[in-house]
Amino acid sequence: MRHLSIGSLLGVALLAGAQISLAQNASVTISSPMEGATLSAMAQNKLVYEVVPGPRGDHVHLYVDDKEVAVVRQLKGSHALATLSPGPHSICIKVVDKGHTPIGVEQCVKVSVN
Amino acid sequence: MDLQNLAYAAIQVVHNFGAVAVVGSAAFALWAGQGAAGLRRTLAWVMLVGWGAQAASGGAFGGVSWLYYGRFPDIHGIAVAALLLKMACAATGFMLAAVYLYRGTGWSDRAQLRAWHALATLAVVALTAAAFLRWFS
Repeated sequence: MRHLSIGSLLGVALLAGAQISLAQNASVTISSPMEGATLSAMAQNKLVYEVVPGPRGDHVHLYVDDKEVAVVRQLKGSHALATLSPGPHSICIKVVDKGHTPIGVEQCVKVSVN
Repeated sequence: MDLQNLAYAAIQVVHNFGAVAVVGSAAFALWAGQGAAGLRRTLAWVMLVGWGAQAASGGAFGGVSWLYYGRFPDIHGIAVAALLLKMACAATGFMLAAVYLYRGTGWSDRAQLRAWHALATLAVVALTAAAFLRWFS
C-alpha cells in the first residue's frame, strides 16, 4: 500500500513535470494592442499575435472579457476584433490542444475603448 | 512518444470503430432488407456495442483532458449543441438497440425495419454532429 502511494505520487510528479516542461516550449505573444492601450470604438481594431504551440498545442482560442469569440488556426498574423463597447476590456489568446483543451499557455492584454 | 497523443489516438481508434459499427450495422440491415432478417439480432448487438464504444470513448476524451490539464475541453455555442446532440443520439441509440435485442424478435417485419431506420438516422445525425464538434469550439 505504501509502495503504491509512493509510486502514485512519483507518477503524478513525473506527469506534472513533463507537463510543465512541454508547456514551456509553447508561447503566445500579442504585439498589438499593447497592454493598457486605448482603442477607438469607431475603428476596426486588429489583434496582432504570434503563437508557438509547442508539442501539446494545436491552435488558439481568442477571448474578449472571458468570452470565446474565435477559434484561430493561423499561428501568426492578425485577427479583426468585433466592435468593442466603450470601457475596459480584456483580450486573451489561449493555446489549446487538438481536443480544444487549454494547455495553460496564454497571454492577455487589458485595453480601454473610447 | 508523447503519452497524451498516444492516449488520444487510442481513444480515437475506439471512437472511429464505434462510428463504423453504428452506421455499418444499420446500413447493412436496411440494404439487405428481408435478406438480413436472420442477421438482425447480431447486427443489433453490433449496434449496441458500437453506441457503447462511442459513449465510453467520448467520455474518455474528456477524461484525458481532465487528467492532463485538470479541465474539460473549452467548447461553446455550436460545439456544445453538437456534443449534446451526439450524447442524445448515443443514449437513444443504445436504448433502442437494447430494446430491440430484448423484444425485437417479436415485432413485425415492418416494425423492425422502422427501428432500423430510426437507428440509421441516429447514427447519421451523430456522425454529422461529430464533424461540427471537431471543427467548432
